[in-house]
Amino acid sequence: MFDFPIFDMPMFGHRLIFAFDAIVHVFISHGAAVGGSIILVLAQWLAIKHNDHKFDALAYKVLFTFFILATAVGALTGIGIWVHVNIINPAAIGALLRVFFWKWFVEWIVFNIEMVFLLMWFLSWKNRPLGTPAKASHFRLGLYYAIASWFTMAIITAILGFMMTPGNWLKSDFPAQPDYVAALTNVSWIPSLGFRTFFAIAWASAMAMLLTWFFTRDDEELRVKGLRFFGKIMLICTPLLILFGYWYYLQFPQAAKDLFVIGAITRRLSDSPQLALYLTLGLAALGLGGALTLYANPKRAPLLAAVVMLIGSSGLIGEFERVREFVRKPYIIYDYMYANGVRVIDMPLLNRDGYLKHAAFVPPEYRKVTADNQLKVGEYVYQMQCRYCHTIGGINAITARTKGWSEDAIYARIGSLNSPATPFMPPFAGNDEERHALAAYLADLGTKKH
Amino acid sequence: MDFKMIPNDIPLPIPTLGLDGVVVPVLWILLVVSWVVHILFINVLLGASAASVYYNKRGARENNPVFDRVAYLLTTPVTISENMGALWGVAPLLLISVMFTPLFYAAAIMNSPQWLHIIYGNIAAFLLSYLYKFTWHKLEHRKALHIAIGTAATGLFFTLPFVFMATVQLYMTPTTWTYDTHFWDALLRPDVFFRLVHFFLATFAVTGLFMMAYGKHKQKSEDKIDAEAGTVLLRTGKSWFIAPTVLNFFAGPLVLFSFPSYGIEGFFESGYYWLIVLSVAISIACLYLLLKDFFNDDVPASRIWTVVGLMAVVIISMATLRNGMRLALIGDAVAEATAKSEAFQKESEAARKAPPAPVATAANTPVGKQLADKHGCLACHAADKRLVGPSYQEVAAKGYSAEKIVELVKSPVPANWPDIQIPMPPQPQVPEADVRQIADWINSHK
Repeated sequence: MFDFPIFDMPMFGHRLIFAFDAIVHVFISHGAAVGGSIILVLAQWLAIKHNDHKFDALAYKVLFTFFILATAVGALTGIGIWVHVNIINPAAIGALLRVFFWKWFVEWIVFNIEMVFLLMWFLSWKNRPLGTPAKASHFRLGLYYAIASWFTMAIITAILGFMMTPGNWLKSDFPAQPDYVAALTNVSWIPSLGFRTFFAIAWASAMAMLLTWFFTRDDEELRVKGLRFFGKIMLICTPLLILFGYWYYLQFPQAAKDLFVIGAITRRLSDSPQLALYLTLGLAALGLGGALTLYANPKRAPLLAAVVMLIGSSGLIGEFERVREFVRKPYIIYDYMYANGVRVIDMPLLNRDGYLKHAAFVPPEYRKVTADNQLKVGEYVYQMQCRYCHTIGGINAITARTKGWSEDAIYARIGSLNSPATPFMPPFAGNDEERHALAAYLADLGTKKH
Repeated sequence: MDFKMIPNDIPLPIPTLGLDGVVVPVLWILLVVSWVVHILFINVLLGASAASVYYNKRGARENNPVFDRVAYLLTTPVTISENMGALWGVAPLLLISVMFTPLFYAAAIMNSPQWLHIIYGNIAAFLLSYLYKFTWHKLEHRKALHIAIGTAATGLFFTLPFVFMATVQLYMTPTTWTYDTHFWDALLRPDVFFRLVHFFLATFAVTGLFMMAYGKHKQKSEDKIDAEAGTVLLRTGKSWFIAPTVLNFFAGPLVLFSFPSYGIEGFFESGYYWLIVLSVAISIACLYLLLKDFFNDDVPASRIWTVVGLMAVVIISMATLRNGMRLALIGDAVAEATAKSEAFQKESEAARKAPPAPVATAANTPVGKQLADKHGCLACHAADKRLVGPSYQEVAAKGYSAEKIVELVKSPVPANWPDIQIPMPPQPQVPEADVRQIADWINSHK
């Protein structure tokens, strides 16, 4: 957005470092926290029922790993998503905070409950051994932890759903009057929550199977029990997540559905849409193939099967998150704000008066185009509108996109960024002089070495 | 107030649900309270990490199992306070982000990428501190390595306040912003430096309070080493509380007077200085209560709890006066951001409602051209000159039939245009009927 300072991430671009943080967060929060809490409560329940000390010990070892991952990496990368977005797209996260503040606040309270129960459950596991009356109350700690951690997911999913399908959430543009209830109950909330719940449980089971393999190297019987138990959970969740996933897909706007193939396999490969299908089926085959191998023959299943299963399922999760982020384009909040932080309704003003007129952090001498400052102004426009997705010479390089183009060609292209050729790009915002300045800057970049 | 640059506020209302009179004060209270809890956990995290490494080293050097136990006992408050500290940091971050969005986010961006250290540096510190705690018995005979891990974790935790302080102080002083203010400019300012000194001293003082209470509790333990460790904690706690508290009597005024003058004026005008007087008086009383029994290891628990209770009052007054300074510093800036945002939205509303400038109307534009525009063909092609692709005059000169053009749009043959650098991507999404009309229009350029 035009009235914040500019932070430029050279080479890697913003998207990549944000994606790195976000995908790590999804792996850990869904696996080690939300799904992990549910499957470990089930495991503890089974251990109590059969008074099975070995199985109880196995569940504790898995919890130990999940605890480290969830608290050190999961929680912090979750805050990290926020911190990343606040420096990448402050206008968007600022808007989301204003609409979802109280839900976020409730989520924070639940997050507290989650953390307290997790700490109590984990730190007191060994002091409340199986067969003692204290174990029953200890079991309840885990149960509350699982409920709380699922609830935090339920709220965050509402915000993600809102970004894609905000529906009729703004009762009036000016003065802006959000309908907070409509924002919360957007159409993709419940389907996406169901989808994420089952994929979290399935993914946690996959992680637990790999860990079980490691923790039972000298106990075949326990290995059979562990792999069968977690494997069963995973196999039960798979059809459910597909079902909810399809329901979720139905909620996407048509324009987003049209971008699925590009989202799945990048634009360069999108000429062969069947690749998207092969990729998805291939990853699913790896995940399920590995899981079935472990389930069918736990005693002799190699470590490779567990690793293949993890690669397949983490690949699917990564693909899903990439597609979800990609198909929302050109928006960051559908129909309200473009990916580069410009509100859709501000376009007429920005196109008429110029984009830089309101750019608080651009020195005043660069807010109006002259013959002398044209290149520098163009650079400011690039930095404020393009570098959300592009870098100069690194990933998704703007110089590669405009290689060999004349200034006229670039100028013409800027006029139809949001066109069927590139429907995922936001339109250019600004007056004609700014468009010329951007074209001049990009043409000048093309003449330099990168 | 003269602000060189103030961003617009976010063009959405602060969600008070129409109850500004009730909700706004509640937000302020939540902000101060959650921040106090956060900072107390962070104080204990930093202090206890440092103390644990210190006693681990001493225990190893003097072969003293009591010191080793002190060090080990301190790892549990570290685990709890690193988790709770991060968690309770989220609430003030959320509140500041929603109440002072433009100021806080602007400062965070100016301090980037260093601002990201609060995530990645923190994760690394967390993992190291877990490694330190959970390898305690495994590395019993490799103390040098174990202490190195603890030192690395503690050292990393100690880097985080620098990043936080630079950002917090920067967002509260928008009058100091320039077009290229960056992290190091902020970090090396006297106000940030003195605030850091004050913060680190307070960290040791708060940890001292914690160690006194924890030590008193452990003294009652039936395990002999635990009980002795309790005494060590109690003694250390006293000196850790007393020395930094005295030093902070000097650091405090330096912090106050390094703020911009309009902030100091506003602060005094609103009477917040009384809270300083109160805090100093109570702190002196606490120092007296502890110094009286400085060499007495059996100082009664009631004395410790009195000091803790009195210092809780000091901590709350310090947090309140800190908030008073924030109000004095950014009140005008927030008002200006809100006003600017209102004006911008009004202008935008007017521009949106203005009748659109006359453009070529459908009546005098050929259908084929309208469709070419609609489907984005004109992004790369113009009628009479080369842009990304050849001009339509050039295409028309090839003499293709309309059917041939339909086919070429669906599957282009770049070989037909050896001197065009960017091959045209296939456009299967354009309906065939539309392409036919476009083709007719292209061929009209002959």
